[in-house]
Amino acid sequence: MDDSKSVVLICTCGKQLQLGFDFLETQVRKMNLTASVTVHDTVCQEEGLEKIAELLKEGDEHLVIAACSSQKIQPRIDHYLDSKGINSSQIQYVNIREHSAWVHKDLDEANKKSLDMIRGTLARSAKSTKRSLEQKEITPHVTVIGGGIAGIESALSLSNLGYRVSLIELTDELGGHVRSLPIVAPTGKSGKEILSGRLDALQNDNSITILTNTKVRYVTGEMGNFNVHYLSDGKEEKTMNTSAIVLATGFKEFKPTSMEEYRYGKNPDVITQFELSCMLSSGDLVRPSNGRPIKDVVMVQCVGSRDEDYKKDCSKLCCTFAIDNSLEILEKIPEANVRIVYMDIRVPFENEMIYKESREKGIDYIRGRVSMTWEKDDTTYVRVYDSLLDKYLETPVDLLVLSSAVLPPDGTFELSETLGYAIEDDGHVKELYGKLRRNETRRRGVVAVGGVTRPQFVFEAVTDAQAGALIIHNELQGGKIKLISRGAVLEVDDCVGCSLCAQQCPRGVPLMIEQTEAEETDEEQKILFKAAIDTLNCHSCGVCQSLCPSGATQLNFLSNEQLWSEIDATLEGAGSEYPITLCFYCEECSVSTIDIVGTRRMEYPASTRLIPVPCAGRVSIIDLLKAFESGASTVMIAACEKDRCHIGGTGNEIAQVQVDVAQDILNAIGWIGERVDMFRMFSAEPERFTNAINEMVERAKKLGPTPVHEGTAGKWMEVTE
Amino acid sequence: MSNPVLIIGAGVAGLTAAVELADSGIKTILIERQETVGGNALDLYKAFPTDDCFYCFEGNRWRPGIRKCFYRSALTDQPNITLRMNSEVDEISGTPGKFTVKLNVGPEYVNPKKCTMCGLCIEKSKAFRLISPQCQPQAVVYNPEREDDGARQAEEDCPTKAINLDAQPTEETVQISDIIIATGYHEMQPVNVDEYSYGKHPNIITQLELAKIIDPNGESSGALVKPSDGKPAKQVMMVQCVGSRDENYYPFCSKICCIFALKHANILTQEREDVRVSVVYMDIRTYDRYERYYRDARNSGVEFIRGRVSLIQSNEDDTLDITVYDSLLNKYLKFKVDLFVLSSALEPPDGTNKLIETLGLRSASGFVGIADPASENEVVVGDHVYACGTALGPAEVPESVTQARAVVSKILQSRK
Repeated sequence: MDDSKSVVLICTCGKQLQLGFDFLETQVRKMNLTASVTVHDTVCQEEGLEKIAELLKEGDEHLVIAACSSQKIQPRIDHYLDSKGINSSQIQYVNIREHSAWVHKDLDEANKKSLDMIRGTLARSAKSTKRSLEQKEITPHVTVIGGGIAGIESALSLSNLGYRVSLIELTDELGGHVRSLPIVAPTGKSGKEILSGRLDALQNDNSITILTNTKVRYVTGEMGNFNVHYLSDGKEEKTMNTSAIVLATGFKEFKPTSMEEYRYGKNPDVITQFELSCMLSSGDLVRPSNGRPIKDVVMVQCVGSRDEDYKKDCSKLCCTFAIDNSLEILEKIPEANVRIVYMDIRVPFENEMIYKESREKGIDYIRGRVSMTWEKDDTTYVRVYDSLLDKYLETPVDLLVLSSAVLPPDGTFELSETLGYAIEDDGHVKELYGKLRRNETRRRGVVAVGGVTRPQFVFEAVTDAQAGALIIHNELQGGKIKLISRGAVLEVDDCVGCSLCAQQCPRGVPLMIEQTEAEETDEEQKILFKAAIDTLNCHSCGVCQSLCPSGATQLNFLSNEQLWSEIDATLEGAGSEYPITLCFYCEECSVSTIDIVGTRRMEYPASTRLIPVPCAGRVSIIDLLKAFESGASTVMIAACEKDRCHIGGTGNEIAQVQVDVAQDILNAIGWIGERVDMFRMFSAEPERFTNAINEMVERAKKLGPTPVHEGTAGKWMEVTE
Repeated sequence: MSNPVLIIGAGVAGLTAAVELADSGIKTILIERQETVGGNALDLYKAFPTDDCFYCFEGNRWRPGIRKCFYRSALTDQPNITLRMNSEVDEISGTPGKFTVKLNVGPEYVNPKKCTMCGLCIEKSKAFRLISPQCQPQAVVYNPEREDDGARQAEEDCPTKAINLDAQPTEETVQISDIIIATGYHEMQPVNVDEYSYGKHPNIITQLELAKIIDPNGESSGALVKPSDGKPAKQVMMVQCVGSRDENYYPFCSKICCIFALKHANILTQEREDVRVSVVYMDIRTYDRYERYYRDARNSGVEFIRGRVSLIQSNEDDTLDITVYDSLLNKYLKFKVDLFVLSSALEPPDGTNKLIETLGLRSASGFVGIADPASENEVVVGDHVYACGTALGPAEVPESVTQARAVVSKILQSRK
């Protein structure tokens, strides 16, 4: 395609930016990809916005804006142009304020850097294509897997938002664990009572189809077009087409049969807390072994939780449940003697007051651990170490109740293989981003709510479900999706079927589609599976592109050609006179960090050039090597911190792999691997960027120019071997 | 066409609710009593559970799949959000679904849509400052109490004429369909908790004050220094449950203080030079996966003493001698510390009880209470009245965000 020229708009930030604007204007005008240059004082104000609209209409709609951080002005510019019906997708931004003027004191150096980055952006702009609003219709149907409180609330919320819902439940009754709770504090109501209103609403809602005794076997497809394969009543397998999935499969209580000290599974009077709840709900509060009355109860906290051998973490709910159940026991058997053996009592907020109430009512708390349980004649004995008295005590007990760990439910791992969500170390569903995106999973279109994500109180599961419904509504938009088509576009003819994109996409967007026509071609040549990417589902990280061996998949706003020509143009003349460090930075944590460095006017060397990418994962080995080919002395990638890739969770790790391989290649050809590196950062610690860039500039000085510049020895340093 | 939704409070919860509603096409009025959004988050440096910046909230849908730091959330450019900074709710009347709300809007000395943060006014006058690089709106703020000669000059020279020193507070009356209470929490200043001598010695501070000290964007660039003389602090003692679980102050547990105290303890022992930390506690309540903060702390050598502080004596060199009763050893122990940090209770902020009274809501130990406890709909606190975040009681950031989304979900459901 022909390179288009772009109009360049340079902002002086109210004449406050310390840059040589006349110089910049003259130099930019000379660049061969420049159509025209305008210098303006206030691009972000009304007059500036009008100017932008004017310039876009004038020059075939390729515009480069050199101003402050695009993170600040782009939303305003986009909105303004949108309101005027002008397509803004062909505007490229260069930051000459936070990334240049504000951090480099030397005027000449700041000018040179600004020019190089403008030239680079002109190259990116030259090959850019327009992106427009696209529409897609999908069935407004959602499948909820799991009929406990979270699943029920999800179904109701989604139905209220206008969707048809299928609610799938493994057992024959809805309600999950809550059904068996005798009391859900602090409501004072039983689990059944809490559920009843919701169950009635479910029955009366025609948009909700309930499938009990149903098990999901596997799922194919993608958001907007999933196919859920399930088995009802053990009969033949059926398929349901759905647009999104809510995973609400709840939790499982740990059965501590392997913990010898408790004799669970061997002694019928040793039960778990949930088993006690069931007993309290059904009204049979007697010794399971012989039906005799209960007087002495000992409860043990943290059974299987906070334990190196079982679950490392705390199960959160058990202290509250134990105290609730203890109070229930006292209600039914006022003369009962209940003791709770604990390490820390963990009752949040107002549950603390219930803890106090329990102590006032005579429930005894022993800080310590159970060391042994045994039976003699018809009695169970327990030996407890009391750490506050530093003594062992032995006591007979009618009921030993174990507050057992809350674990993820069965089938979580198996379903993940087809649903595409990730699993935490502890087996629960892994959230997309723990701070802000708790209910989304790695797979786009699959939301997880309730106990399957972590132990939750009933009201928390309800809130989770309501929030999850909103997230799905945001994705499905009622069935009529309207989005700017900005993302990966895959040319099927170029696809070689390696499936790297499908394997590595952080959100599981590409699908491998069987090529049935391939049967007809030559045995040796046929490619059985090729990738397919729905650009509207794509969230634009570029990982597929950086891994694709044939260039079949590329971001429609940052193609390979665009980035390579940008690298080349930015580095024009680099390296032979002085060392340049090129930094690719992600437009998530890195741009924030680098911008904050700018806002705080923290200085760093001006022998640096910055190129933005949507995610560090977009940068491939080839891109890194091209940078060296174009004259960079050192190259770095600035990315989000480990486990915190903001786009999908894994882009930064994929970038790390690319950097590691690039290092190996550079070492192998004698150019020294240290020249390329990756640094992780976030804006709370702006020094992370300045430390990183200073390090790379140091390395450039130490290592000298690359052999690309052989023959320039003596200009600034001998070429290193 | 419904009236807009009023969101009281622009902390993490309020911001999330505002942006989600705005993205769904619903007009909102976001009112905040401080000069910048972010609430308690702005002071927190690193947040749990992800141990990264706190200045982050779920952004808008212009760029799908992306979070936004406060500084780039472009709130002033979101057409469905009317931002009222430095403002408070004065009166609420009317009926659910048709509220009439009177707002006291603070004087707009600097127009945030015009300010480019070029820094000229800051150079000319001490009355202008940037609260934080992450502030939102991204604009300087003016403090009339520091007015000097340079201020008028700055007003004249401002390249975008963003400054108006003669701005006056105004009153605005708006018609509102739903109210979202996102007023957050306030960290108790434990001046009355005599046994800890807070307020009597500069090196006795609260956890939020500690967070500000270790923030790299703060005054000491993140170095752990003593407030008394700015010199490095090496021995730190933390006390849990100050004002919480206490009949004399707040009987409830403030839920998250064990987690952030240990977050801080880990930062101090692992990321600062030569700092030793001891924690005095009754129960360590690092629930759920936050147990890892406790494991980490023990592994980094943080000392845990189950017991109570019984005596504090200050020395001439500003160190503190603290006597602690250790209940497990059944002994009194004496520590010499540079910094004494109190994990103070999370209390409802000023004005909460007035709001509760005006709207006829329930109170949950002074925080806004759920309307119908049996419904387990924690975010619904009244008819067309919702609440999210720590306005409901101590909560983690992810919980506040989920609650905000639940509120928006309920509002959208009610409008179908």
